[in-house]
Amino acid sequence: MFLQITTRTMPLNRKRAIGCFALVSSLLIGMVGCGSKSESTSTETAGESNTAVAASNLTGTIKINGSSTVQPIANAVKEEFAKLYPDVTVNVDGKGTGNGFNLFQNKETDISDASRPIKPGEFEACKANGVEFIEIPVAYDGLTIVVHPKNDWVDTLTVEQLKQIFVGADAAKKWSDVDSSWPNETIEIFAPGTGSGTYDYFREVVIGKSEDALRNDMNLNEDDNVLVNGVAGNPYAIGFFGVAYYEESKDKLKAAKIVNPKDEKAYLPTPENIASGAYAPFSRPLFIYVSTASLPRAEVATFVSYFLENAPTLCERVGYVRLPDEIMQRGLKNLDEENAGTHYIDAEGNSRSGAVADIYQPENLTK
Amino acid sequence: MSSIPDAIVNQDEKFLADNAKRRKRLSLWFYFLCVAIALISVVILVVLMVSIWSQGQSRLSTDLLTRAHSELEIERSGMWPAILGSLFVCGTCAVVALPLGVGTAVFLEEFQPTNKLLRWIHGFVQLNISNLAGVPSIVYGLLGLTVFVYMFNVFGQIRVNESAGMEIMGYKHFYQVLTLEPGHVVFVPQSDPTKRQTTFDEPFRAVDPDGNPIEISIWTPGTPKPSDPAIRRQTVRAGAIGGTITERNWYYFRLPFDKSFLSGGLTLALVILPIIIISSQESLRGVPSSLREASMGLGATTWQTVRDVCLPAALPGIMTGSILAMGRAIGEAAPILVVMGAAVAKSSGPKHLMDDAVTMPVLIFNWAGRQQDEFKELSAAAIIVLLVILLLLNSTAIYIRHHVQKAQS
Repeated sequence: MFLQITTRTMPLNRKRAIGCFALVSSLLIGMVGCGSKSESTSTETAGESNTAVAASNLTGTIKINGSSTVQPIANAVKEEFAKLYPDVTVNVDGKGTGNGFNLFQNKETDISDASRPIKPGEFEACKANGVEFIEIPVAYDGLTIVVHPKNDWVDTLTVEQLKQIFVGADAAKKWSDVDSSWPNETIEIFAPGTGSGTYDYFREVVIGKSEDALRNDMNLNEDDNVLVNGVAGNPYAIGFFGVAYYEESKDKLKAAKIVNPKDEKAYLPTPENIASGAYAPFSRPLFIYVSTASLPRAEVATFVSYFLENAPTLCERVGYVRLPDEIMQRGLKNLDEENAGTHYIDAEGNSRSGAVADIYQPENLTK
Repeated sequence: MSSIPDAIVNQDEKFLADNAKRRKRLSLWFYFLCVAIALISVVILVVLMVSIWSQGQSRLSTDLLTRAHSELEIERSGMWPAILGSLFVCGTCAVVALPLGVGTAVFLEEFQPTNKLLRWIHGFVQLNISNLAGVPSIVYGLLGLTVFVYMFNVFGQIRVNESAGMEIMGYKHFYQVLTLEPGHVVFVPQSDPTKRQTTFDEPFRAVDPDGNPIEISIWTPGTPKPSDPAIRRQTVRAGAIGGTITERNWYYFRLPFDKSFLSGGLTLALVILPIIIISSQESLRGVPSSLREASMGLGATTWQTVRDVCLPAALPGIMTGSILAMGRAIGEAAPILVVMGAAVAKSSGPKHLMDDAVTMPVLIFNWAGRQQDEFKELSAAAIIVLLVILLLLNSTAIYIRHHVQKAQS
């Protein structure tokens, strides 16, 4: 009896093993087959769309990491670039500005995306590791302060009023605390999480360089969609986030005009006002940092030039605001002359702050 | 007295009838309660599916299945590279985790310790596995980062322009030089791999992308520049710099693994290993010991017993556990984000062993966080695709299991 069982299971066992092996191998073969198929189709389509231009045989790999805010712009540039140079692999990761600089100073990336200028500590680390870079602003991102559309008392806001609403334990609890003519209702605040560059940027503009945090009874959320819906759902709410999100939900929200501290006039976050610098201080430049050690490589040089030439049009298509031509020209010049260093840190190692048009000047370059 | 049920003490007929009625009613209520509890999970699932379906069904198209992520043509974005990437990552994961997991379970269940040292090893392994099963997957991600991505920097660090780690096979290094014709390059095979860049001042021999040798001449600025494109393609500027590029075969192998799909798959293998081990152990424990004893009694060795008696009998249970574990692996995002990064714009599946990949959960995570409504709908559609693929994989496995079971009986 038992002998029978064992003899019966033996051949079955072998058959099963072969079956499993065949299944696994066929799966693998199928996967590899699919992989090569997709490759050929992608090159075909790229070739078709460029019949006018002779397809380049440039190849190589470019590694990019850094701000997730800049990632869509870099992705867009990569997408267009791949049509002209189908053999170049561009890997665009978005682990955040700080993480990006960490990898950059360890020579793990060719280009670092950043939603803020490099910090003195990161600059020192780059110098210590012998990493030189060219700093190039590529687009503007505006911060929009939004209220509910039914909110008829807030039309313009000053930085001073924002400070009253957003800063400190004694921050305004009710609208009437900010201005006595405003309703006696509790303010509900929606803001991006403390880990985001947007939060950092807002905090720096409103508080300045001190390490103070914004008030801690806000609704913080990393998901900007939650912020949009939060403000849209309460007539007494206020919030802030990137201008791209506001553009997508204009019908549900009302943007506050911000009083420019310089000319005392209030401006809406329109693309024109952001590009002209009138919408101050809530518009920020976005940067790429290119390692000079990578620039001699033909694929990196070609990609970065392509990036600068096309950033103004492509950044608009993914929801950001183009930089004025003048600043783009200065960036191109720095790239062309390989002027390495940052404009945002002075010789003593202190960071500079202000409008990109003022700071991104040749005389501010620190090696 | 009080421990004896009333129904035995009190033999009054009316009481008995009432009592029986009451007990039956209670039983019926309990039945309804069970049905309700069982339905809750189904209802939640249905609600989830309906909301995902209503959001995503308008985006279910062939574009979604065949194209790559696109920033500029959002409405034509797709997830084909992510589907491939997930299959590759999970394939690696299965190939590594299944034999290891089942092997460990066999060791723990079938090879009983005979001396003190072995008993200690047994206990140590068992304790660790039970602990590992409860560790959050992000911790495995960090583990994978040091072990597979960097390999403790034992094999050198991968740095752009300096070092590509310890390359073992499937690669060829070239210097890439731009010619006078814009966008056209020629390649020079590299003889000294430590020299990552070189300058060209003298005429030299190069190869075109197909490997045919071409003679390259030098143009010095100031002298007349050739205008014929064919000649321009064979001329480089004096002092032109050649940077290293690497041609990789599909079996390109290098240490450390860096952010490759291999690292991702191995990390996921660590995540699901405890699940596979524990479920395999359970099913091996379920094999009646009489079968083992009979086999041993006939003179079979332990290995023969395991191979021909225990494993076949436990196979359905082992497969159930493996199916559940693989389902977890394909949906895991956190360790993948840590190990492989958040890049989503890759336009193809992995092309060689060390290539990076996009996976479906990471793509869904990225799309769900975008501001554009199209991306939000796309992420819902991608979830549907992920569920369908998961269902397909599971039903294949269940079909195989059913087949195996039938063959056994």
